[in-house]
Amino acid sequence: MAIIGKRLVNQVKTTGLKATVAQRADETFQRLTTGLSWDDVRGILRGDPPPKPNPRVKPHTEGFWFHIRPTFYHEATTTLYPTFRLGLLSALFFAIEIITGIYLMIFYTPSPERAYSSMIDIITNVPFGMFVRDLHRLGAEVMVVVVTLHMLRTFITGSYKKPRQFTWFTGVVLLIMTLGLSFSGYLLPWDQLAFWAVTIGTSMADAAPGVGPTVNLLLRGAPDIGAGGLLRFYLLHVVLLPFIGIVFLAVHYYKVVRWGISLPPEMEAVGEDSARKVSPDKRVNFLPDIATNEIMYIAIAMAILAISCATWYRAPLETHSNPLVTPNHTVAPWYFYWLQGLLKIPHIIPFLPADIANGIDKFFANVIGITPKVLWGIIVGPLVFVALAVVPYVDPNPSRRYGQRKIMLTIGGLFTALILYLSLAGIPTGVPITGFGFVGGAPSAEIGQEFMPDEGDGNLMRIPFDQMVVGDYQVTADANVANAPELNAIIKELYYDMQRRMNTADPNGRKLSADTVAQVKIAEIQPDLKQITLVINYTDDQTSAAQEFSKFKFIHRDSEH
Amino acid sequence: MSIIKKIVTFKPGFNLRVIVGLISVVGFLSACAIVGLGDLSKALGAQDAKYTARSIEAGAKVYFEQCARCHGADGKGIDSQGPALNSIAFLGKTDAGREVQKSQRILDIGWVGNLDSYIRAVTTSGIPLKSSNQWEVIHPAFGQAVGGNLRDDQITDVSRFILNWAQNPATSGTIDSPKPGAAFVPKPTSAPLTPEQEAGKAVFLKNGCNACHAIKGVAQGNIGPNLSAIGTDAAAIITAADYKASQGKATTVEEFINESITAPGVYIAAKCPTGACPANVMPPNFKTTIPDADIKSLVAYLVSLK
Ligand code: HEC
Ligand code: HEC
Ligand code: HEM
Repeated sequence: MAIIGKRLVNQVKTTGLKATVAQRADETFQRLTTGLSWDDVRGILRGDPPPKPNPRVKPHTEGFWFHIRPTFYHEATTTLYPTFRLGLLSALFFAIEIITGIYLMIFYTPSPERAYSSMIDIITNVPFGMFVRDLHRLGAEVMVVVVTLHMLRTFITGSYKKPRQFTWFTGVVLLIMTLGLSFSGYLLPWDQLAFWAVTIGTSMADAAPGVGPTVNLLLRGAPDIGAGGLLRFYLLHVVLLPFIGIVFLAVHYYKVVRWGISLPPEMEAVGEDSARKVSPDKRVNFLPDIATNEIMYIAIAMAILAISCATWYRAPLETHSNPLVTPNHTVAPWYFYWLQGLLKIPHIIPFLPADIANGIDKFFANVIGITPKVLWGIIVGPLVFVALAVVPYVDPNPSRRYGQRKIMLTIGGLFTALILYLSLAGIPTGVPITGFGFVGGAPSAEIGQEFMPDEGDGNLMRIPFDQMVVGDYQVTADANVANAPELNAIIKELYYDMQRRMNTADPNGRKLSADTVAQVKIAEIQPDLKQITLVINYTDDQTSAAQEFSKFKFIHRDSEH
Repeated sequence: MSIIKKIVTFKPGFNLRVIVGLISVVGFLSACAIVGLGDLSKALGAQDAKYTARSIEAGAKVYFEQCARCHGADGKGIDSQGPALNSIAFLGKTDAGREVQKSQRILDIGWVGNLDSYIRAVTTSGIPLKSSNQWEVIHPAFGQAVGGNLRDDQITDVSRFILNWAQNPATSGTIDSPKPGAAFVPKPTSAPLTPEQEAGKAVFLKNGCNACHAIKGVAQGNIGPNLSAIGTDAAAIITAADYKASQGKATTVEEFINESITAPGVYIAAKCPTGACPANVMPPNFKTTIPDADIKSLVAYLVSLK
């Protein structure tokens, strides 16, 4: 201390106070900017051309954050195409997830007794709690989309070819990490949606021959998902997967610095990689050009995300998980619909008669000895990722030009179409129009599910509280309850929905009987609490017996449905 | 084609970056500000109310599944099964969330906590001994910790549901818990059975009616309608429109019950324990298998059930 003080005094004595302060300030400034002086920064902000030698490359050699970015890009890679900024956005969403995730961790307890109530606490009592949760949830879903699109673009531009095979491989690990994070995070709210989606997911592992039950036990920590399973998913979600993600992201980024971003295919000779051999007049320095460009894209993405969460987006939270009650139509998260679709093979193969499909099922079960569920879900599902990982190592074609990659691009296109088709077939209502993959129940139960789903909201529950006029109403096309236009509208909607189900058979060939009548009953059971009941009387299409279907919900004035 | 080319080779100029970037930052910050201001109003309970409301909805479900059979769907209590939970004596009264009248029950039993904690305590642990022989049953323990089937949050929900009655508690027609220590004076039950009615009861059991029908204290069948009060129910049925529209010809309670036994097909009762009553389930041949004299005493017995 004394020595520093003495040196400072000496400096002031020899060069004067003003110069000393200026020199010391610049020194501190350069330490912060890892090598840029105040004048350099001003030049950058003013848009001056870089002086020679260019001081703006110093942060890339001196500092950590810039050394993981290239010093310069080839001019041709700085436009929207070829990258579409998708890699950057993937990294941005990963960062957003980490930051919002840490905030949520403060208030979350991973135990079956506390998990759900900590979610309620987060959305009701924590400052910015609901906002941060929405950001985390929406960010996670968008990240899956962005990462997938990024993979698609590197595939289409052939960027996985030599020398970037390993970049692609680490990318596949990052894709698996992204999906794994989304899936493990899905369980944490401990609501019905979470519980059953994850139960379905892990029970697929259980079906695998040999190791299946062990894997299932490892994941769940017990035969059924409980305290052990929740804790394990939590640790996967906040420790193991982010750790893998950060390590592989580092390698991925290093590879991008090492090999540069590949040029648009048409710009280089076949088999050559010229991304790092850029003539000086084609170089665009990271500082300031790429940096400002990236900051703009980051700002746009963050603004869209934040505005969405402040306005229309709400992360779902269903009722508390209940191992004893399976809600109708439980589904995996949408990015695993394709896996659900796989499980329905061969029943979703277009125009394959049901008999043959059943025959194939039997053949696999009896002759080969594995059920189709095991085959498609456990063996083929993971193989998709293996197939992705080996793409650069098995594609023998050295050319990146679109015209010379017709086979690979066709395979990629078909693969994408297949995944999309399987995803459609994976949802409970199946593929639109053809209905392949439909797994609905009796038509009456489907009406109940549509208007009053077991979990989440249906139209009957969304009628404004004051328009839920107490009384019993026949479902007709001319419902006319005084002062309740929305009630009338929904009764009419119900009526037309019933007509549709009477006239057209569902994909299982089941119709609602023509003599079906329905009633909506609304009763007030407490101050501010109403019970709304849907009763459907129909003749069962299979047993021809008169049947009654009824389902009810309670609606409180203050709950937003 | 040239549009596509323009899009793919798009690269914003420096000024555009600054403008768009600034607009986005402002957008981001205002979204945060909107949320922040919303959070301030949360202190006024807007958000809380929404979640209390959801909790009450969930509690209603629990109540109807678990509690209504003893405490009544309307909460007014059921004779000998369970006391009222919606009465002013039990709940006191609240107005806009503030207590304007205390719960007399809490004072009577000297419970030190509030009503919410009393309800949750009783629901969780049950009442190990009958506090009064007015009740035929012992209170079940619903808490999972003591072997029941309700989670803590469900118990909180059902308590919120019960407390929601306190805005407008029932002031009459409720069956309240007796004061601690008060002697139980049983209400005079229906008159003892006459010998003929006793004989009818035996016929009822001998012919297996109890396999399908319930009569309080006598039979537990749950396929056909509950006959515990058929004497009064029948009077209502024969005047109802749907009965008049059927082939039934009975004009008195006796005739109706006789007809129901000897010709069950002419009129199908509306409500059975599991939903709408099925046709062709009640055997159609009692007219031939049961002697007339027995049918007569059987009818006399059923008529007496009120
Ligand atoms: C098997 C019938 C039965 C069921 C089911 C039942 N109760 Fe009770 N409940 C009783 C009886 C009987 C009493 C009075 C017990 C006594 O005082 O000994 C009682 C008393 C109570 C009391 C105390 C009332 C007072 O005046 O002190 C509360 C609170 C209560 N029940 C709540 C519930 C809730 C909540 C449920 C549903 C989760 C429920 N009960 C289900 C029979 C039942
Ligand atoms: C196999 C089951 C079964 C048996 C055994 C049976 N019942 Fe029934 N009973 C029913 C069903 C179902 C109904 C409702 C359908 C109908 O009204 O026919 C019914 C209806 C009745 C009704 C009319 C109730 C009302 O609310 O309208 C009476 C009275 C009755 N049964 C008495 C008897 C008596 C007495 C016996 C014994 C001699 C008997 N039942 C045996 C199934 C049965
Ligand atoms: C968390 C997920 C990921 C992040 C954060 C990420 C990030 C990046 C970034 C920033 C780049 C620089 C170029 C660009 O922006 O396009 C890049 C390039 C690349 N990524 Fe990813 N990536 C991820 C996932 C993937 C996946 C799933 C794949 C493919 C399976 C992949 C394969 C590649 C390849 C091959 C390149 C080189 C592209 C080229 O040089 O043109 N990445 N990645």
